[in-house]
Amino acid sequence: MPNQAPKPNFENTFLIDSLDQIATSKDRVCVLNILGKESRGVTPISHTYSGGNIVFGTSPGRGGDVLSTESGNIPVYNNVREGLANGHSFNVGVVYLPPAAVRDGVFEFIRVNNELEKVIILTEKVPVHDAREIRAFALARGVQVFGANSLGVADSWNHIRLGGALGGDAPEETLRKGSVAIYANSGNFTTTIASYLKTAGWGTTTCISSGKDLYIFFSPAEFAHALDNDKRSKAAVLYIEPGGYYEQNLAFTKPVVACVVGRWKARLTRAVGHAGALSQGEDKAESKEKWFMQEFGVDAIFTPENPVCSKKGAVVTDIAHIPQALSAVMKLNDTRPDFPPEGNLTLKPWFGNNVGLKLPPELDMPIVKAIAPYDSQIAELSAHVGAILPRQSMKDCSSSSIMDPDTQVTRVSGVSVLDASGLPLEANLCLPLIRDINDANDNALFNVAIASGLNLHGDDIVAVTETVRKGGNAPNAVLAAACCVVGPARVASACTAADTLIDLFAFTPLAEGKAVDFATIKPTAEQRATLVSDKPDAKAEAMLKALKARKAKSDLVAYLVSLGSPTADAVTAAITTTIAWNALISKRITRVTVRTLPWYARLFSTILGASASADKHGETSFCDVEIKEIMESWSTTEMAYLALLGEKPTAEQLFPFQAMLGLIISNGPGTISAQGAKSAVSADGPEMPERVQINKAMAGFLVNTGFAHGGNGFEGIEFLIERFKDTTLKDAGNEKHGLDFKTIAGAFIENFKTEKAARKAVGSESANIPGINHPIFKNKPVNYDPREVYLADLFKKRGEYNVFHAFYRALVQELFAAGVTKNVFCVNIDAVIAALLLKLLWPRFRQGTLQDSDLRTAAFTAFLYGRMAGCAGEIDDHINRGRNMDTRTAASKCSFIS
Amino acid sequence: MQLTGMIHGAKLLKLAGFPTSEVLGPEASEREIKELIERHGEVFIKPIFKGGVGKKGKSGLIGRAKDVKTALREKERLYFATHSFDGREMKANGVTFEGAVPAQHEVYFSITDSTRYRAPTMILSHCGGVDIEELSRDKIVEIPFDPLTGLKSFVVANALSDLGAPKEIISPLVQNLPKLWDLYHQNGMTVLELNPIRMSPVKPGVLTPVACDFKCSFDRDDPRAARLNLPKSLFTEDISDFEQEINQLRTYQGQSDVYVVNPKGTILALTFGGGANSLVTEALGDDAIISSDFGGNPPYEKMRDVARICFKHWLPQTNVLFVIGGKSNNTDIFVTFRAIADALRDYVATHGPQPISVVVGRGGVNLVRGLIAFKDVLEALHVPYRIFAHDSAMSGVVDYVHDVDRWMKAGGRAAVAANLGIASSDADDIAICSAAE
Repeated sequence: MPNQAPKPNFENTFLIDSLDQIATSKDRVCVLNILGKESRGVTPISHTYSGGNIVFGTSPGRGGDVLSTESGNIPVYNNVREGLANGHSFNVGVVYLPPAAVRDGVFEFIRVNNELEKVIILTEKVPVHDAREIRAFALARGVQVFGANSLGVADSWNHIRLGGALGGDAPEETLRKGSVAIYANSGNFTTTIASYLKTAGWGTTTCISSGKDLYIFFSPAEFAHALDNDKRSKAAVLYIEPGGYYEQNLAFTKPVVACVVGRWKARLTRAVGHAGALSQGEDKAESKEKWFMQEFGVDAIFTPENPVCSKKGAVVTDIAHIPQALSAVMKLNDTRPDFPPEGNLTLKPWFGNNVGLKLPPELDMPIVKAIAPYDSQIAELSAHVGAILPRQSMKDCSSSSIMDPDTQVTRVSGVSVLDASGLPLEANLCLPLIRDINDANDNALFNVAIASGLNLHGDDIVAVTETVRKGGNAPNAVLAAACCVVGPARVASACTAADTLIDLFAFTPLAEGKAVDFATIKPTAEQRATLVSDKPDAKAEAMLKALKARKAKSDLVAYLVSLGSPTADAVTAAITTTIAWNALISKRITRVTVRTLPWYARLFSTILGASASADKHGETSFCDVEIKEIMESWSTTEMAYLALLGEKPTAEQLFPFQAMLGLIISNGPGTISAQGAKSAVSADGPEMPERVQINKAMAGFLVNTGFAHGGNGFEGIEFLIERFKDTTLKDAGNEKHGLDFKTIAGAFIENFKTEKAARKAVGSESANIPGINHPIFKNKPVNYDPREVYLADLFKKRGEYNVFHAFYRALVQELFAAGVTKNVFCVNIDAVIAALLLKLLWPRFRQGTLQDSDLRTAAFTAFLYGRMAGCAGEIDDHINRGRNMDTRTAASKCSFIS
Repeated sequence: MQLTGMIHGAKLLKLAGFPTSEVLGPEASEREIKELIERHGEVFIKPIFKGGVGKKGKSGLIGRAKDVKTALREKERLYFATHSFDGREMKANGVTFEGAVPAQHEVYFSITDSTRYRAPTMILSHCGGVDIEELSRDKIVEIPFDPLTGLKSFVVANALSDLGAPKEIISPLVQNLPKLWDLYHQNGMTVLELNPIRMSPVKPGVLTPVACDFKCSFDRDDPRAARLNLPKSLFTEDISDFEQEINQLRTYQGQSDVYVVNPKGTILALTFGGGANSLVTEALGDDAIISSDFGGNPPYEKMRDVARICFKHWLPQTNVLFVIGGKSNNTDIFVTFRAIADALRDYVATHGPQPISVVVGRGGVNLVRGLIAFKDVLEALHVPYRIFAHDSAMSGVVDYVHDVDRWMKAGGRAAVAANLGIASSDADDIAICSAAE
């Protein structure tokens, strides 16, 4: 089309004379954003594979850090200039910056370093605007750029990999020394083609992932020039996609196999995958096939059935045909492969299952043993029991819970707290750890485990908690002290018993849910000693009786009994391991979780038990109820009610109590309580999970609650008492209470307005009314907290009335009517908690048996009961997934306030 | 992200200070149209299409009118006009009324980034107003220029001299065309085409270049395009709900490119890598539901979300869930496969067992852990599966998937469903229902 030759500076530039100059042992590298997620994973491998060729990296604000590698630490500077000033020199720049920063990064490389020869851009989605400027600027300064969206370049002869990750995490496996150069638009296919070539005995010289953006900085023409001058390369493979005229009029002096893929892309109106792989005219795949066919002097695509090729080359459209095509072309050139073929590309499923179906013969492929070293990895992993989870920074992250920022409803193990409010406490305590909802048998089992640790008579915990209590501390401090006593030594025997049970049963029919003949289980003497003792253990016997009374089933408990006299720790371990068994075997939870479940159970018992004062722990009773009775028939929800209020709840009392606890099990990983738990784990170093003190993490949760976080329920109660104490209200559940909410609210509003005006006059902020308004649910004419609405509907359906809740709903209307609020505020979840709890406490408050301080303690403690479930989940999650000290905040993100 | 027509083009050109024809939108009143005709003597009525649409004139989709009655009749004819372009059927929604611009000369002008020169390139002809492909080579110049200095007056002047353009158009074009570089370069464009620019004697004795049609493309990876505050709806012409949902997850960390190949397909292929995307989609043909590239080492959350959206839209009609990629360089197979497997397990937990077969082909970082994580979930879901690694040819694995799909269509799906204890629904029927919705 043009009638004018392009200006010389817009032609191919040939800054690289030979492929052996692309990745050399003399190259020294600087990596921009070396501590970024991508770089952190692959740079250490490149550095070690290449003999330590990275002299430094940059990461603004993190100067002074290092990136550790097997070949030593790579220093990190704030910027390139700093690194150069510290005496480093380099000729290769590698760019891992986000797209918007790539251009400036390349410009900075070129601007401050006169020795720069090559730049490799790994970043995807670099704007075309920036690419056109990079091309012009680099060209003017004689710098060869690779990419963008390149996976780097590698030299199999020198064992050098610059930028990116060609060859993956084991480059030596794929990048075998040989005689074939690879140039590919796809980074993945650069490695895949190198891997395929080995099956025909071909190794590689230089491998180039060109990237496939609109701008390709190292073009096929420049590759052809460098190939021509590279004495090591006898041939080349090109993998090419549609889009761009880079391959038009190429001339090769060595044999080439060109793989052109993407005919279907002509149907596209926008790019999918590679940004530049979109034809806009005559640059479609068919055209490119023709260009290569013309160059090679062939008239058809090479296939195994129709192996058309010439001495100059062959064109394929399937990368699996590359090895065969190359061998055919090289045979015409009298050139033998570099080494004997390694493996083949036939179909070899490593895993499969017909699930009992009769498949046609062509589909029913037998499973093939994987090639080394994967076979031994498979054997090792197959022997592993439970999930294997990758570690990452867990700061502000959780796989246990998440709050929906729009609805403020949190999900724990995928279950909404609204649904959790319908579950008993025993199920909610297991949910975050087992990641499933208990069935009735699980609940029966777990109730026994909790009941067995409820009574602390004669335990040091009682003395510790009484001392802390007498110091005037809030319940969270008291319970934190109790948790501190339940250290690793106290639960070692139970955790070891859990380990033994897993070892003994993981590879038996029990793993498939089938019955086990106990005679086939052969514990060693050491294993047996972790489960049974010579003398009968009274506590264990009581637990076994309780299990029998509840008709709770457990193969593991039955096994213990078959051995003789199990210890109480072993029974606890058998209970928790039974509950977790399916989740463990189906690899939904880790072995670490299951081994530590007895510890969590002990901590839950301790928190419930220690919240009752010393005088409630009798020799055989707890809060004046016989332990035997509790063990054999009480639910954990009832135990919690007893510990908190000193009496057994009626069914009418139990439901709202359970609902309240379920609602507050979690508010997501961002809450202060969850953060406290997570930081405690982080500080112990979860990468060695056995050293994490779960009891200390539980204390971390507890000490990170307080009057402002956990005490809100009390503020609501205090507010409600102030409104109702001088009324005639006797039964908070009676709809015919005879009270006029308008009058009660009106009196409050008058006072509130007066106080507000007074505060305004002296410049103070107005006091908030507890239980109303929410930063998310506002700005509509009438606002609702969906959690409050859900519960209101739930109780309405059950025909249960709560005068305090009803008052709150009336109050928000009156506040609006009186002009105090600009719209109708929502009644929030704190108000519901306060209303539920106060309704339970009201009779005793009226009788004068409960003081203000008791109310405060009860409200706060109830919060802790619920929240301990969610925080246990965060602790376990962080132990399994977190990194050491990952909750730190970088110094650069901290600020000093004078 | 393409834009055609003067309704938005005129606004963009005004930003660059480039003269345009006078344009009214579909909401123009009869009085406004009448006044436009009075000012210009004649109006052109053009249908409004979303995206990039050309050759409207050749298809008889440009009306002209010298009175309001004709203008309104043409409006009625063209308002919902359909147009076949690039193999696609497009439907208009609205019309523009553009004042006629008297002229002696028409000019073609465009800027694109040329892969021949690896530089921004101006294409210019003094014989515009027709398809550029129809012009003989001696009437066109194609000039690459340095993006660091931009499109300079001398570049335009030299080009017009080389063309032998009439001297009366040279000075106005030299003064005005360079303005378009800033519009192009600073707003994330990859194509800017004005055809025709009519050289109009707006002032006596001087010709003024007036843009009478406009076309541009934006780079969707360039945030500069957002500066123009163009309505997002302009670029949603062929984006399905599914694609739109996936696009929400578009970040530079990990690809999330998808394209619906056949909404009635039966193979759901989650593909990793641009190369794999090209190879697999081509080989699957119309049996594929989507073409995708989820490579680039996406983090767990993003991969799980992507898989969740894919399953939500397509799993009910899927015969074969196919997860495929080459030997990864940096994409963590454990992270990505665990995310897909977890999303699949969640889907089944919510929607019940699904009568699918699963085929996986992959190699790379953390391979065995990833394959075993996937295998464990498939075992729990009790569906037939085969998992291949990088020592099996990708194209062979694709052929195997075709075979499995054929078996599923010929009774396999019903057998899998029966094995799961659920009623079988024919995948094709579900696909038809989904499409109908």
